[in-house]
Amino acid sequence: MEKLQDVYRIISNEKICPKFFRLCLDAPSIVNKALPGQFIHIRIQESLQPFFRRPFSISRAQKHIEILYEPVGTGTHLLSRKKKGEMLDVLGPVGTPFSLPPKGIRQVVMIAGGIGVAPLLFLSDILKRKYELVLLYGGRTKGHVYDMKEFKQNGCKVLISTDDGSVGVKGRVSKLFTKIRPDSQTTFIYTCGPRPMMASVQSFARGHKLRGQGSCEEVMACALGACLGCSIETRNGFKTVCHDGPAFDLNDLIF
Amino acid sequence: MNIAVKIGAVKFANPVTVASGTFGHSEKYYHLQEVKKLGAIVPKTVTLHAQTGNPPPRIAETPSGMLNAIGIENPGADVFIKTKLPALKKTGVPLIVSILGHNDEEFKILTEKFNAAGDISALELNLSCPNLGKKILAAQDPQAIERIVKTVKKISRYPVIAKLSPNVTDIAAMAKVAEDAGADAVSLVNTFAAMAIDTKTRRSVLGNVTGGLSGPAIRPIALYMVCKTAQTVKIPIVAIGGIMTADDALQYIIAGATMVAVGTANYINPRAPLEVLAGIKDYMRKHKINDIAQLRGSLDHG
Repeated sequence: MEKLQDVYRIISNEKICPKFFRLCLDAPSIVNKALPGQFIHIRIQESLQPFFRRPFSISRAQKHIEILYEPVGTGTHLLSRKKKGEMLDVLGPVGTPFSLPPKGIRQVVMIAGGIGVAPLLFLSDILKRKYELVLLYGGRTKGHVYDMKEFKQNGCKVLISTDDGSVGVKGRVSKLFTKIRPDSQTTFIYTCGPRPMMASVQSFARGHKLRGQGSCEEVMACALGACLGCSIETRNGFKTVCHDGPAFDLNDLIF
Repeated sequence: MNIAVKIGAVKFANPVTVASGTFGHSEKYYHLQEVKKLGAIVPKTVTLHAQTGNPPPRIAETPSGMLNAIGIENPGADVFIKTKLPALKKTGVPLIVSILGHNDEEFKILTEKFNAAGDISALELNLSCPNLGKKILAAQDPQAIERIVKTVKKISRYPVIAKLSPNVTDIAAMAKVAEDAGADAVSLVNTFAAMAIDTKTRRSVLGNVTGGLSGPAIRPIALYMVCKTAQTVKIPIVAIGGIMTADDALQYIIAGATMVAVGTANYINPRAPLEVLAGIKDYMRKHKINDIAQLRGSLDHG
């Protein structure tokens, strides 16, 4: 078994739009193991502040490990100041990945809210050319929208909404649901984003009898299923986001 | 160099263990060869019946620490013995099983079940359980501590460690009660009752409203408690409280602890217990200490 925790060099750490950053790590051992939906748990700096590691969905695992993040709190702001060449203490990849679309699926609809787009990019890398891919992306403002060119290169149709209408359709991402033609036998949903958004995706999926997967986020301590701190309530009882998830059957989630 | 320690008649190869509830899925995430280096493993507390745990959110980050209100989520003793214990036994590391009964009878049945399960090195009594009929924990009631320790001690095949709560006026006095009732060791401290409020919502950050504080934030207070207890009881002390590094662990040993348990640090650095162990050995080598007993309780009161 390879080392679960190690230090890796930062290849780049750049703003990709006014609100989002992309960080690339030279981490071949993680690249080799990572599956879409899994995450890495980063110790932002070797001090007691911030105290916990911070979990980030893997957004790409090709030459490097990539994550997308939005600086919102202490940890992510500190991360955004890291420079190329610095080393980061990383644990991972960990977590239960997305399950692949079941037999008979032809169309995959990915629905993202804000930085929740991150794990769906990695997913599109794996699913490209095998399925008809659609991304419905909802951001708060145009500052929360980046070019999404990797999705487009993966043959994915990209539809955008913003809360303030500065890009794409004005309103929540649910405004875009009417733009797709779902079929309960051939369409599969993947979603990641804020809980109210995922709740709207779940009710849309139920309305059309669509199967799918949702990736959840919680404050985490161990990321190894040990502390049971990140448990959420599901239709199968309490489940840890770090170990039983982050990817769950969309229908099992309770919002 | 001798770093072996004893609790009751049981010998542990070294003094470093993990605090209950902080070390899970060892078979999946750790090198077995590395896990084998630990002095002991303390799995998450087991109750007689399965407990689903507290509503989320269950944890929060605080300055140099962690709030938790997990609620002893566990599958219950029978399922634990059948599904989790075999893998833990397979590691070959001595096991200290943490049990929590909601009354004396449950502690008794739990002890019988683990007597029957075999291959365990010690039982740790999690006394931070509700004290039936009273609004305080068993660990806050000297009579309850005495009763529970005597009940378990009477039938246990294994040494018995009473885990004490810091949420008392005088933890050393509670340790003395446990010692007089026959406990083979005491472990301290459990978490400090604590909370944090989200001012935006004016709600507690924890689903359970209140929780327990752990991590380096509590270390100086826990160290004081261990030091005071070491001057009060003769039985071994398992020190717990914000140990992140070997230096932290050495402070507890110098204060009088026989064993040291790494807890919250496991979440930040899964290698922390092994680094603590290596660091203790380095310190002993550097200071030409051949036996850890020479270091234990060696605080210079000047």
